[in-house]
Amino acid sequence: MTDPLRILLLGALAVPAIGAAVGPGRREWIRAAALVTTCVTLALVTVLVICFPGGARELAVTDVPWFGAAGGIDIRFSVGLDGLSVWLVGLTALLMVVAVLVSWEAIQEQASAYYRLLLLLETGMLGVFAARDIILFYVFFEFTLIPLFFLIGIWGSEQRRYAAVKFFLFTLAGSVLTFLSLVAIVVLNYEATGVLTFSIPRITASLAAHPIPEAAQLAIFLGLFAGFAIKVPLFPLHTWLPLAHVQAPTAGSVILAGVLLKVGTYGFVRFSLPLLPEATAICMPWLLWLSVAGIIYGALVALAQQDIKRLIAYSSVSHLGFCMLGVFALNRLGMQGGVLQMINHGLSTGGLFAMVGMLYERYHTRKIRDLGGLAHRTPVLAFFFVLFTLSSIGLPGLNGFAGEFLLLIGMFQRGWAEAGGRWAPHYQVISVLALTGVVLGAWYMLWLVQRVFFGPLREPGHHEDKGSQPEQAVRDLAAREVIALALPSVFIFWIGIHPAFFLNKMDATLSGITDRGMAAVDARGMAGQEEFPQQAPRRSIVGESGGEAGLPLQTTGWMDPSGAAFAAAGGHGHFGRVWPEAPSDRPTFLATTRTDP
Amino acid sequence: MSAPVVVLAPEIILVVVAATIYVAGAFARSRDVWVWLALGGFLSAAVAMVMLSVGAVGGPISVDGMAIYVRWLALGLGALLLLTSSRPSGQGSTPEYVGSLLLTVAGVMLAAASRELVLLFMGLELVSIPTYILLYLGRRDAASQEAATKYFFLSILASAMLLYGFSFLYGATGSTHLAVIGQRLASPEAGSLWLARAAMVLVLAGLGFKIAAVPFHFYAPDVYQGTTHANAALLSVVPKLAGFVALVRVVDVALEGARDDAWPIVLILAVATMTVGNAMALWQQNLRRLLAYSSIAHAGYMLIALAVSMATGFGTTTAWEGMAALWLYLLVYAVATVGTFAALSCLGRGAESVQSVEELTGLPWTGGRVRPVLAWTIGLFMFSLAGIPPLAGFWGKLAVFASALSVEGPVEGIRGWFIVLAVVGVLNAAVAAAYYLRIIGVMFFRRPLGVPRVREGTGGALAVAIFSAVLAVAIGLGPGIWFRDARRAAIIEAEAPRPLPMAAGGVQTADAGLRPGGEVGQGVGFGSGL
Repeated sequence: MTDPLRILLLGALAVPAIGAAVGPGRREWIRAAALVTTCVTLALVTVLVICFPGGARELAVTDVPWFGAAGGIDIRFSVGLDGLSVWLVGLTALLMVVAVLVSWEAIQEQASAYYRLLLLLETGMLGVFAARDIILFYVFFEFTLIPLFFLIGIWGSEQRRYAAVKFFLFTLAGSVLTFLSLVAIVVLNYEATGVLTFSIPRITASLAAHPIPEAAQLAIFLGLFAGFAIKVPLFPLHTWLPLAHVQAPTAGSVILAGVLLKVGTYGFVRFSLPLLPEATAICMPWLLWLSVAGIIYGALVALAQQDIKRLIAYSSVSHLGFCMLGVFALNRLGMQGGVLQMINHGLSTGGLFAMVGMLYERYHTRKIRDLGGLAHRTPVLAFFFVLFTLSSIGLPGLNGFAGEFLLLIGMFQRGWAEAGGRWAPHYQVISVLALTGVVLGAWYMLWLVQRVFFGPLREPGHHEDKGSQPEQAVRDLAAREVIALALPSVFIFWIGIHPAFFLNKMDATLSGITDRGMAAVDARGMAGQEEFPQQAPRRSIVGESGGEAGLPLQTTGWMDPSGAAFAAAGGHGHFGRVWPEAPSDRPTFLATTRTDP
Repeated sequence: MSAPVVVLAPEIILVVVAATIYVAGAFARSRDVWVWLALGGFLSAAVAMVMLSVGAVGGPISVDGMAIYVRWLALGLGALLLLTSSRPSGQGSTPEYVGSLLLTVAGVMLAAASRELVLLFMGLELVSIPTYILLYLGRRDAASQEAATKYFFLSILASAMLLYGFSFLYGATGSTHLAVIGQRLASPEAGSLWLARAAMVLVLAGLGFKIAAVPFHFYAPDVYQGTTHANAALLSVVPKLAGFVALVRVVDVALEGARDDAWPIVLILAVATMTVGNAMALWQQNLRRLLAYSSIAHAGYMLIALAVSMATGFGTTTAWEGMAALWLYLLVYAVATVGTFAALSCLGRGAESVQSVEELTGLPWTGGRVRPVLAWTIGLFMFSLAGIPPLAGFWGKLAVFASALSVEGPVEGIRGWFIVLAVVGVLNAAVAAAYYLRIIGVMFFRRPLGVPRVREGTGGALAVAIFSAVLAVAIGLGPGIWFRDARRAAIIEAEAPRPLPMAAGGVQTADAGLRPGGEVGQGVGFGSGL
């Protein structure tokens, strides 16, 4: 495995760490060095993303013994990228540049320590997504807590100390159980096969042949759940999130919302689904209920917020609910939508948090009622804010739509088109509730935009604390800030206009992950079918090959996972070779849009 | 000089140097001379260790993997403790202080190498008695005297219980040699194991004091608070080292017959120790008191590893060995704890060192060169003690919990107990993070406020703090060799000599010589050469 690209990945991991080691100096130098470091990392990662060919093969794999032969335990330093991690690595590298740019003026004190911690955090986050060894994953997973703890606690707002400690302890309490579960997976795999390995791909492969007993799977699943669900955060475990997001410095919020929450969903996709398929199938309805509860709850609480940052923090709860919903719909569309939505949320919410920081730097307030009509004062900021808002609420043509649409289709498919056994009504209710969440999401975000950026101009009366000229009008975005927002905007449009580019490259990896979960769900669904013989057999709305299928309104698939099949255009959807089996007499919601070739 | 004695050359060197310092200290009271001489003593003991890397010797002395590991650890920690304490407050008593420290280390090394009850007890007392002197020398105030007195009385009570337990063992088997004891208890003629069980309980109680396990922990917070940082560092690692090595030798290996009764007791002790330690630490304001409870809690994690090695049976090789986990954990714990105390002992106002957590407020932002370094090292040790990767403490936790999860004992249902133990353990680790984070939070998240000064003459302690921090990171990033060494430490020479007839043997003290592989030597004992 002498992949020349692995040098790039190792470089991407090492560059921020080296940057963090650069000695103390003046603030101007330190922040410039940090910017160069993150840009170099972004360049390296960009090459990796462009070179990623798609397919199930891993890219840029480095696999060397970490412990050496001496340790007697084969824990390896093993990193690589597949169709799932490559996007998250890309997202991390992108948002880190944004994070440095938004910290540019905001961080005045202890800048050297600040940027060092930020860069260490970058290494940690890239490592989480790139790790192919369970222990290495956990090391990076936990390590990210340390820099973020300091970032919130030292540079945060008024309640920063409480927020930092609560964030750390909440996350740690869950992740120690995750740790135990990960070790338990290794031990059980060792007992089943006699091979003590920590390699995630090897364990995934060998557990497919020697599945863990169901009871143990459930226990391990719950352990993993404890850590990942807190990280996501799933509905009842989200209480640390608003506090940490609001109290963190702007860059901290961007990173926290943009990247670190995805570590939770990533953990579910990487570990829970492929390693514990039976437990996943058992817990699926419960997780879907929790996800949809989070969607609705987060949206309702966001509606009631007076503080812009809090509002966006609660919108994260809602959006991550969507991601989880897609992932745990356990079919290809849902999974693709869920993963795409992870990226989308990182881009749009990261950008929104960045802009809240910019507003705060100008007005020293985050209260909605203090502000109004800012579109007159800061048109460029308003433009970006509206753009990111529209992305966040899923306007067609922007990224949010692609992800939300896919994952909702996946969920509806779970509810109507696939065997759900006695849970089928639940899935149907969940699907509908999730749609309500979309509406609520549009409501609170657009209402926020309306109150803050439109209507009569309203600004906090005075800002003497700036100390400079009394008649210093608030300036619109500087070039630095425009760049910070333009970077994610590019991808907001790109994913929105051509999601197939992204979906194609992630499809093979994701289907590998979903297949086992789907099989387990089907097994259980079939078991339930004896009670419900009228249930229609599972049909796929995703055909095996869609190339030949006639596409009514366009020539190429708009969202075309692996050229397979899923095209949607202007209300006249066509689903590849849709029904391999004879269509049942029971109409599904999709059947109405179906056209026979 | 016969072979077994040569093997003890490092200990002998330390004792000779200590005696020299005691005697000559009466005439030359310069501090530096004695510190350097003691360091020289440690160095020559280390050289002796390297040159005398003999295999098994037999008789009452054993240089198996565990003995080698613990002796090296004791030497290294001894050197660190010496540098930490290079400024005891009473200027006049330096020779006594340094000499006692050397004797303590010699005691741990002797206990590690002995496989005979009398020699083991001697080693343990060689740890305890100089410790009393160290505690008296630490500070000259009422609290310090109270601490020393409290430690003295409880320690001799513990020693008495231990000795009582040893006498039961002797009564049950007619031998003081651990291998012989183990083999006779395991033989069918051994009859009732009640004496052995009683002995096991008494030994656990006596050694529980040394490691500060929970029902025997009450002295720790008071004594730590009453004494100096350097002494607290010593108390939190040296008796633990001696206590665990003795526990392994006596309870885990020799009392194999009573193992089925022993592991549940140790398991309960482990749960109680870590839970009480962590819960009590949450409320502490005094730094040394907090760290005392923290060291109690860490003894609990180590007891998990001990329970694992007892439950799985000695000599079985699972993927994760409890014994190796124990030694790795002790190492990473000792590095972080000694480092913390060393860093704290650099700070103070005048002669008084820092006492309460609040005194560290805003430490990293106070300017100067040394204080930020101290703050960051303390922060690092706190994260290491909390077990956050990639620091050393994480690997200790990984080894301990992984060993608990891989228990496959002969008894049905045993696994469930250890899974529960592991879950309790990790939750405890999360609780523990709360008070470690509190220290970090006080230091980093507040503005400086009446900041303590860096005390004079604490260059040695600063060096220890920095060295320990580097070591904690180095172990964290490259844990391989440390795992290897810990696994070697799990090699314990336990082969008993050829079955000896109980009746005919009568009272056979330590005269059953051993060679590697269980081959019977020819009556090699104290006096005879190999």
